[in-house]
Amino acid sequence: MAGIEKAPAPRSGAHTVIGSSIVIDGEISGDEDLVIQGTVKGRISLKESLFVEGSGVIEADIETANVEVSGQVTGNIGASDKVELKADCKVVGDIRAPRILIADGALFKGNVDMDVKGGK
Amino acid sequence: MATIDGSTIIGESILISGSLNGDEDLTVRGRVEGTLTLTRTLVVEPTGVVKAEVQVKNCVIAGAIVGNVTATESVEITKEGRMVGDIAAPRVIIVDGASFRGRIDMGEVDVDLERPARASRPLAAASRPALKAPGRAAPEAKKAEEKTAVAAASGRPPAPPAPVAMGAVKRKVIVKRK
Repeated sequence: MAGIEKAPAPRSGAHTVIGSSIVIDGEISGDEDLVIQGTVKGRISLKESLFVEGSGVIEADIETANVEVSGQVTGNIGASDKVELKADCKVVGDIRAPRILIADGALFKGNVDMDVKGGK
Repeated sequence: MATIDGSTIIGESILISGSLNGDEDLTVRGRVEGTLTLTRTLVVEPTGVVKAEVQVKNCVIAGAIVGNVTATESVEITKEGRMVGDIAAPRVIIVDGASFRGRIDMGEVDVDLERPARASRPLAAASRPALKAPGRAAPEAKKAEEKTAVAAASGRPPAPPAPVAMGAVKRKVIVKRK
């Protein structure tokens, strides 16, 4: 049973994939994981995880639980749990989340705010 | 990381409002509102709701579409499909059980080919209910009447309804012979 937990649940469990040739201009909202390989402009608000893959380009404000960026993001990111900037990603904008991980090789310009409003 | 390329899925709980453009197949299980432009196939699954101006190559509707659909190849409304809006496509398939309200434009139909078809179809359509109505007022007769009414309302008798009705009659005859 432990194997199930170890399986890459977030990605394989993701029901929504925005493919690499897709351009969305507007608003995306939902309650499930979202994988973006294409381009999104506007606003993204999710209750689950957002994965911006290598080919993904986002020009939007993001409001989610988790964000994992391997591609490009221009805009502010607000996460209730965690923001992870992977190597080779490019992020311009402010990040607000209790946990923020920036990997070696990631490009980032903006403010970081780890202050949890509840206080620790 | 770049997993399945060339296919996009909009999950059940996802709402996209705005414009969506792309060059790959798109499967909608959630909601899309605004405009939707693809150079490939759009599949609206039973849970999917599209309230948008749709421009695609092919469109398969098993969910709901409210808005006009323009397809360069075909539009198919499956038995679970519901649609309100106008369809413009060279091939339009509406399956039994599908619900649709709107106009259909299959483009410039060749007038020379259309005329004999037009002459034969209304006659056949008129004779069928008349024959059936006195004897057995079967629900099929009503359906056929509705279908012809729809065809009349759309301004011209489009190809799909007649073959469907004819197919039904043919099948019936075969059943009787058996």
